[in-house]
Formats: sequence, C-alpha cells, structure tokens
Amino acid sequence: MRALRYTGILPSLLMLVVVIALNARLQPHFFGLPSLEDNIATLTPTILVCLAQAVIVLSGELDLSVGAGVSLINCLLATVPISAVGGPWGLMGLALLLALALGAINGVIVTIFGLPSLIATFATAAVWFGLALALIPQPGGELDQSVGDLYSGTVSGVPVPLFIVAGALLIWTLLGRHRLGRRIVAVGSNPAAAFQAGISVLRVKLAAYLVGWLLVGLAAIAISAQTLSGDARVGDTYTLTSVAAVVIGGISLAGGRGTPWGALVGAIVLGIVSNVIYFAGIPSIWQEFFKGIVIMSALGFMVLEQKRAAVA
Amino acid sequence: MLSSPEGLPAAPPTDGEIAPPLLIARGITKHFGGVVALAGVDLTLRQGRVLGLLGANGSGKSTLSRIIAGELSSGGGEMHLAGAPLRHASPQDAARLGIVIAHQHPSLAPDMPVWENVFLGAELSYAGGFIDRAKARRRTTDVLSELGSRLDIAAPAGTLTAAGQQLVEIARALARRPRVLILDEPTAALAAAEVGHLFAAIRRLTEEGVSVIFISHRLAEIDTICDDILVMRNGRTAGAWTTSGRLDEGRILSLMTGDPDAVLREMGERRIGEPVLRLEGLRAGPAVRGVDLELRRSEIVGLAGLQGQGQVELLEAIAGDRRIDGGTLWHKDRAVSPRRPRDMINRGICLVPDDRRRQGLFSGETVGENIGYVLLALAPRPWHLPAEKLAALATRAIRRLLIKTDGPDQTVSALSGGNQQKVVIGKWLATDVEVMLLSDPTKGVDVHARSEIYAIIGELAQAGTAALVFASDVQELLLHCDRILVMYEGRIVEELSGDAMTEPRVMTAAFGKAAG
Ligand SMILES: Nc1ncnc2c1ncn2[C@@H]1O[C@H](COP(=O)(O)OP(=O)(O)OP(=O)(O)O)[C@@H](O)[C@H]1O
Ligand SMILES: [Mg+2]
Repeated sequence: MRALRYTGILPSLLMLVVVIALNARLQPHFFGLPSLEDNIATLTPTILVCLAQAVIVLSGELDLSVGAGVSLINCLLATVPISAVGGPWGLMGLALLLALALGAINGVIVTIFGLPSLIATFATAAVWFGLALALIPQPGGELDQSVGDLYSGTVSGVPVPLFIVAGALLIWTLLGRHRLGRRIVAVGSNPAAAFQAGISVLRVKLAAYLVGWLLVGLAAIAISAQTLSGDARVGDTYTLTSVAAVVIGGISLAGGRGTPWGALVGAIVLGIVSNVIYFAGIPSIWQEFFKGIVIMSALGFMVLEQKRAAVA
Repeated sequence: MLSSPEGLPAAPPTDGEIAPPLLIARGITKHFGGVVALAGVDLTLRQGRVLGLLGANGSGKSTLSRIIAGELSSGGGEMHLAGAPLRHASPQDAARLGIVIAHQHPSLAPDMPVWENVFLGAELSYAGGFIDRAKARRRTTDVLSELGSRLDIAAPAGTLTAAGQQLVEIARALARRPRVLILDEPTAALAAAEVGHLFAAIRRLTEEGVSVIFISHRLAEIDTICDDILVMRNGRTAGAWTTSGRLDEGRILSLMTGDPDAVLREMGERRIGEPVLRLEGLRAGPAVRGVDLELRRSEIVGLAGLQGQGQVELLEAIAGDRRIDGGTLWHKDRAVSPRRPRDMINRGICLVPDDRRRQGLFSGETVGENIGYVLLALAPRPWHLPAEKLAALATRAIRRLLIKTDGPDQTVSALSGGNQQKVVIGKWLATDVEVMLLSDPTKGVDVHARSEIYAIIGELAQAGTAALVFASDVQELLLHCDRILVMYEGRIVEELSGDAMTEPRVMTAAFGKAAG
C-alpha cells in the first residue's frame, strides 16, 4: 500500500476506471471482442512510446524527439523495398537498428557532451523530422501487406499487439529487478550519490536512452503495420502525449521516482480519452480543445493527490 | 558483484611491534579554481590502526579523504598503497583496491529503500545481473544491527532523519568490506549510544587488519578510538604523532589554529529571569507525547537523550513547523497555537534547524545572501534594506564565527561542511529574538568555532534571549547549559541541574531508566 501511494499510481488508476466507464457508456459494444481488439491495436504504439519516455525520465532526463523518431522510422520503412531486406522480419530489424542509432545519438549528446536533454532532444527532433520529410515529402509510399498481416495476426490465440505490450512490460519488470534498472532509478534519484557509489552515471543514462529507443522502434513498427504507408507527421502527437502520460502515471519529471505501471496507466488513460471524445459526438473542430481540458484536469488531479499523499 | 579486495592483509602486529604503513600520501595538493584546499599534506596510515584526522573547518580533511577514495583527482603529490604506487581514477577503482569512504554528508538516493542504498553500485546479484534482494535485505539488517540500529530497511532513504541517513552511509561503507575505511565525521549526527556501537564495530575491523581514517571534531572520541593523530591546518600537516596517554587539548588547539595561545571561550555569567515559554502536555504526532517544560529569560536549557526520542520534533512543534495535536503552548501568559513558522517568528521565537542541507541553507546562493536572508524576511519593509547593513552583517558573522571563505560573495555550496553550518547559525546573529530553538547547532563545527557559537548564544542570553538547545554531543550540553532535560520516547524523563549534571546521570536517563 505504501509503495502504491509512494509512486502515486493510485490516482491514475482511479482516472483509468473513470475513463473506461465513460467510454463503455459512449461506445457501443466497448467490451465486445472486435472493438476491444481494435482499441488495443490503436493503443499499443502509445503505450510503447510512453514506456520509452518513462525509462528516460526515470534516469533524470527527457526526450522530446520520440515522436519525430517514430515518424522517421516509419518513413524509412515505407521507402525501403521489402525485397532488399529479405521479408517483414528484416524490415523490423532495420527499424530497431535505426531506433537504437537515434537513441544512441540522443544519449551521447546528453551524456558525453552534457547538453540539457530538454534542448538537445528538441533539436534532434527537428533533425529527425527533416530527414523524414526528405524521405517522404507527401504522405504516401507503401509498406508490404505482409507486415500488416503479421501485426493483425495472433500468436497461439493472443493478438500480436497485446503480445508486444506484454513483452515490453515483461522487459520492464525484469529491468526493475536487474542491476541496470535499479541503477537507472538511482542515477535519476541522485546522480551525485550514484557517482560516489561507484556507478558510471554516463553509461547508465546512455543505457536508459537505448532501452527507451528500442521501445520507440517497436512503436514505429506497430504504427507502420497499421497504416501501411509513410507519413513524416505520423509520430507528432506522441512526444507530448508520452510526457503527459508519464506525469499522469505518477512518475516524477525530476527522475528517480515512479514505476512502468504508472506509464502504462497514463498511456491508456490518454488513449481512451481520445476515444471518449470521439464517441461523445463532439464536433471535430472542438475535439482537440476538449482533449486539452481533460489532460489538464487529469494533471491537476494528480498534483492534488500527490500533495495530499505527501502531507499524510 | 561485491568487490572484495584481493588478499586481505595479514593479521595486525601485536602490541610492541610497529605496525607497517599501509597507505602513504606525500605532498598532496588540490586547488578549486583559485581556492587552495590542500597545500601539500602528508599522511601515513598504519595497518590495523585508527588514524584520527583533526583540523579546523575548511582545513582540507574532506578533500584529502575524497582524493584517497578516488572521488577527486589530486593536483600533485603521490600515494602508495601497501608499497605500490596508488593511481586510481574513480570510486570504482578505489573500491576495487578496498578503499571505501563514508561521507560527511550522506550521499544517498532519496527515493530508494535503505537496503538498496546500502548496496548501490555494489549490488549483490545472481548471474546475469539480477539482484538478489533477499540476500541484500538480510545483509543490510546484519550490518545495521552491528551498528546497533533497527532502521526500517524498506523505508526510502529520503524519509530518514539526519542520524538515520548517517547510519545508512556508514553501513554502506562497512558492507563493502574495506581494507582502508575512511569515516568522515561519522558521529556528527549520532548520539552517544550509537557512537558506542560504531566504536565497537571499528575495533572489530581493526582486529581483522582493516585500517581506519577517523575524522571528528569531538576530542573525546579521538581520544577513545585513535592510535595515531594527524592535525591539519590550511591544507597542510600541522602535526602527526602516535598517541600515548590522554590527548593534550591545548596542544591540538594551538596546532589547529596556528596560535600557541589559543584558548576556548568561557561562558559569561547570566541572571536568569521570568518564564517566557511554557509547555503543558504538548503532543505532536507520534514523536512528541506530552511534554511539560518551562523556559526562562536568559536561560540556556539543553535537550539530551538518545537519537530520535522526539527532541527535534519538539523544537519543530514549538517553532510552528509541525502540527500540535494536544496540550498547551504558553508564550508569556498567552496560549498560542502556531500554524506556520511565521506565527512564531513574529513572536520572536525562532528555530535554527538541524538539517542544513534540507532546511537551513540556500546552497546556490552566496554566503552574504544566506546570512542576510533572515533580516530580509523579518524586516517590516524588506524592499528598504540598505545594502551596507547586509554587507556589514555578513562580514561580522564571517569574522565572529571564523567562517573560512573567500568573502561574502562565495557560493555556500563551495564551503566545507562545518563552515556551511556556521552560515546557518550566522543568520540568527542578526536577529533579536526572545526564544531561540537550536537543533544540533554545532554539528560538524570544529572545537574552536564551537566555543565561539556557545559564546554567542551566551551573549544573546545575557541580553535576555532564552535558548533551548538539542545537541547530540552530551559533553557540549554539560559544558554550556544551565539545565538539562533528557527525553525518552517523546517525553521528558529527567531534569538535571547544578551538580547533578553529569554524563552518567544523563546516560542513565537517556535509556529510559529515570530515577523515580
Ligand atoms: N567544490 C569546491 N569548490 C570550491 N572550494 C571548495 C570545494 N570543496 C572544498 N572547497 C574548499 O576547500 C577547503 C577545504 O574544504 P574541506 O571540505 O576539505 O574542509 P574540511 O576540513 O573537511 O572541513 P569541515 O570540518 O568543515 O568538514 C575549504 O576552504 C573549502 O571552501
Ligand atoms: Mg569536511
């Protein structure tokens, strides 16, 4: 109980229940299998990007280029002919490699060159976006149907998207029991203490970026498999969504405090909010407005709850 | 993986033999920008012995320790460990060679539990790097109980008291099974009972051949535990010798200050006046469980007891910094119920907090700004404070408290630990308060400056201020207070004054065995 309150996951769980209840009321057959499967497939990339942001934030940094990174990877996938990499698996491998490279670049800039991550990743976001535009100036291009088939398929009855999310969470859970995972938290919590305890702050932060970007790569694959085309703006919304989800999930932006479960819950809340607004019949021009209001209330609620918990 | 040093040294030589040197440092220098922290210091640490490191605040003890522990690079000089040149570049390197430090300021990850902090960076893990939590918890409990502590090992380190954090810091060093153990003011936040346990642990270690560098400003402790003494002054070795018999306080003081005639200040005479503060059955949270107390004008009253018996919480409650749950707080003949510190500050009742890192300092600001801050906060028209007055105030505090700094414009975070504490105290020199509540005011302050601080408290008291002082060092209370109140489990269990103020009586009461 104390652990729950401490990481501030409780209020976000409450929010989750509320939005799910709302959604279930508004969307016909919300709990029906087809729409549930559909929702999960749409949510998966959001969840992955939010988990990625969570690792990086826990280490005490931030990454504002995850969305642009998703776009760049998506555009690359839509440009490379599938025959050149030997099938859908080759394509996915390529995506993950690019993701790791992008993560390494961010990590090196932030750790070795010591630039503040807020500014550094804001800049690299522009670079990723520029490259994506150069690859695919107009939305278009085409991914092989085999990638889409893989994503909408099942593994022994379990839909692939669910499988991916479960895999990501498993990795996260293992990380939490692993030296590396705990060092990431320690470095985020107090870098001076970590250094004096003999931990290489530099290497740990770099590792956090790499782990995070592996998840970003997975997210880009999921999105590409859904749209089967390239769009240099496809990832735009993910950056700030991931930061908001991390905060809603009770992870401290100062680093060192929080759990992946918080990021998961935050991601689902934000994902479902879009759903709710869509099904509430709000005119499309006002949808963004209401989304903003909901996110703001969610954040306000979180902050109040955390204050209350801190006093108690 | 726990890095245990390869090949522990052989058993220590028995008495009579000269123990061979294990660590030798020659001519170590260190500059921070223009500040010379070490100007060529020599140190010899013998195997299986305890070397006491003494020196005024800012003389370079912590800097030297951190260089030996691989945290700072030295500017010059050389070191040898067991005859081989010592060239380590990081704390990891040092730990591999068995050199481990417990810092003056606990350096913990506040969000992580105690047990993870103890093994941070030296995690006990299975193959593949997965952490063996059960073993780490067990070992943590073991090490802490060796230190006589029953801390909750699952509590986040940031929620512990200053003393608790210090114990975790020490436990972390012990858990690494060092061969050279550096303890930088480990006892500054500890009460006598915990110090006793620590000393027992040190003795066990030295019997196994471990060498210890022990830093403290409490001469009695150095006297008890150290085999060799090294006094530092201004980044140099001022004197080094092997102890025999009792320490000569005068000699140490003159080596420390460089002034052969240096003496500690005596407290002046005072006439104790009418009561200003009275508590009746005051309760605040689980820590303060019904305290009756009376404080008179010009009186200096000490709060003693083991660590964590509610002394700090009591001071905070009186200062309006902790919610009062019951009982009455009388200021002169008015019952007051403070809701925030400002309520009490306006009545002239101020707290000098104990945890300078968390409450007492704006560490990014300059010495002058920190000292002037109280004046700014208390002034009726804070926008109208003349700059010269602030500057004069800062200069006076720096001179009076022997604060070692470049001047009022230096950032506080660059000061040595004890000098930071003096800045905290210095703030209150400026104010004309009716009741001063002091929580471990001399934590980490050198002998000389400590007597200055009490002299200042004495002067304020002569002018009518009443002081309620909690200090973890009993000696210091016995020396300076008119009365001593001993707390145990949130209550005052003994009141001692006059001839009854002796260490044994305080200690007996501290363990809850109050007479009557
Ligand atoms: N990071 C730093 N930047 C600038 N000056 C520093 C820094 N660290 C230490 N100093 C200076 O070096 C000198 C020695 O400091 P050090 O902390 O070693 O003293 P100390 O003997 O441990 O004192 P104390 O008893 O107060 O702990 C001081 O004058 C201090 O101001
Ligand atoms: Mg020091």
